[in-house]
Amino acid sequence: MEVYDKYETVIGLEVHVQLDTVSKAFCGDSTTFGAEPNTHVSSISLGHPGTLPKLNERQIEFAVRLGLALNCEISPVSYFDRKNYFYADLPKGYQITQDRLPICIGGYLPIWVDGKEKKVRIHHIHMEEDAGKSMHDDASPYSFIDLNRAGVPLLEVVTEPDLRSAEEVDAFMSGMRQLVQYLEVCDGNMEQGSMRCDCNVSVRLHGAEKYGERCEIKNLNSMRYAKRAIAYEVKRQIDLLEAGGSVEQQTLNFDPGTGITSPLRDKEDAHDYRYFPEPDLPPVVVSEEYVADVQANLATLPWVMLERLKTEFGLSDYDADILYGNKEVAQYFLDFTKVNQNYKACANLIINKINPYCQEHQLSIAAFPVAQKVLAQFIELIDSGKVASAMAYQRILPVMIEHPEKAPLAIAEELNLIQSTDTNFLEDLVNEVIAAHPDKVKAYQKGKKGLLGFFMGEVMKKSKGKAEPKSTNQLLRHKLEA
Amino acid sequence: MKVDKLLISKLEKLARLELSGEEREGLTKDLSSILEMVEKLQELDTEGVDPLVYINEEVNILRSDQMDKQLSQKDALKNAPDQDGTFFRVPKVINLKK
Repeated sequence: MEVYDKYETVIGLEVHVQLDTVSKAFCGDSTTFGAEPNTHVSSISLGHPGTLPKLNERQIEFAVRLGLALNCEISPVSYFDRKNYFYADLPKGYQITQDRLPICIGGYLPIWVDGKEKKVRIHHIHMEEDAGKSMHDDASPYSFIDLNRAGVPLLEVVTEPDLRSAEEVDAFMSGMRQLVQYLEVCDGNMEQGSMRCDCNVSVRLHGAEKYGERCEIKNLNSMRYAKRAIAYEVKRQIDLLEAGGSVEQQTLNFDPGTGITSPLRDKEDAHDYRYFPEPDLPPVVVSEEYVADVQANLATLPWVMLERLKTEFGLSDYDADILYGNKEVAQYFLDFTKVNQNYKACANLIINKINPYCQEHQLSIAAFPVAQKVLAQFIELIDSGKVASAMAYQRILPVMIEHPEKAPLAIAEELNLIQSTDTNFLEDLVNEVIAAHPDKVKAYQKGKKGLLGFFMGEVMKKSKGKAEPKSTNQLLRHKLEA
Repeated sequence: MKVDKLLISKLEKLARLELSGEEREGLTKDLSSILEMVEKLQELDTEGVDPLVYINEEVNILRSDQMDKQLSQKDALKNAPDQDGTFFRVPKVINLKK
């Protein structure tokens, strides 16, 4: 047995979710990403003396939404606290957060790994504010500070140490991203930093009850990095233990360039945050009525949507999995089923054509050029047997995208693609084909039934794809077996 | 709690202050007498008394999620000890590995 197999990986996460509000947590600065540096600021976000923060009511609403979706208990009263530390991108010298009593307690997120469901327990969710951004330039003796992000509202979701592998971390983060998108509290964009996670990683021998000493890897802003960082860190800790050493509790930074983790600060600089109650912000009281109201307006949850796609619409696991991945796509499907009841065909059209088209053209799926009513006619055209499915997809759909106002039937007629079930037309073709291949007819009649495909192909060719397959098949068999 | 050199040096670090020897001595005396006073208060029986955190009983002082007036970049940077017209400029805060 390999030495690494003796150990179990234990991971807990702190996920920072940047809330999709119009304004900041404690003042009316814009939260829009990508603005000119230091333009979305005010005396409050700059931490000028004598200013007073005032809480954005949406931050409470979003916290309760996420808390209910994760089966948390919502605290009837919660408080804000100050977390004190000096850093250039934290203008006040403290971060406003919730330490004593956060707004949501407990709960879990279901994840699926290798087809098995696992409930990852949530320790709590608290409200806080983001810091600004520091930029470091190798060539300059300075760091550059942009405070546009300072004070943007965050929820921090802290899990129990329930995750056992990088794959489970991946599943958890994907689940969280999908959930916050469904709930419309965050765009879930890790690349832009809307969701970030810190990973607390430790190892212990299989069967051990006590957790090992843990290290925290900070600010992983992509799943690819998180996976690599965890793999590196697990190996580092096991190697250390196997060599007779011990793991020290540390805060680590992961460098995607070198692929290694390294201590973020010296041990003697270990943080002492000296939390104390934030006197500028009064307690947050959430009534039962408020919670009931948020619950009543809660969006369909992703895992409920998945179940619905499978049971209500009879979609395969594969199709349902793709459609529910993105809330907009799932909603698009639901809307589509109102105008066409061939659910499988609706799903196919979305998965194979509409969604890839929108991704390629960077459109939201709702902006697909052809209206669903017209797309429904397209599916009916195939289902009625008037146009072969392959023909419809290859030739009619592109024209529909170019000319969204045109009816699919009209396009099919223009392109001369209407399949014929006209018996005279088909009979002539079948007779021609049979007359042209006397040897094959003999072979068929002697038992080489596989030749039927050949005859079908010939008729199709002659009809330029317009022969309706079912009628043609019947007619051919009838003639050949006569 | 005893106010000694170790504590003073820890506080200096946390507060990002660099004190002179004289200032350290003064601070040691001041802090000791403040702590003495607090210790005196601790003689009171506060069993069953909730700590007073908020001086009035108001809760949920909230604002709606709307934008308010922001500062211009020029005004935002105006009081900074150092800036380059776009960013606040500070001494480098991390050591970049070459």
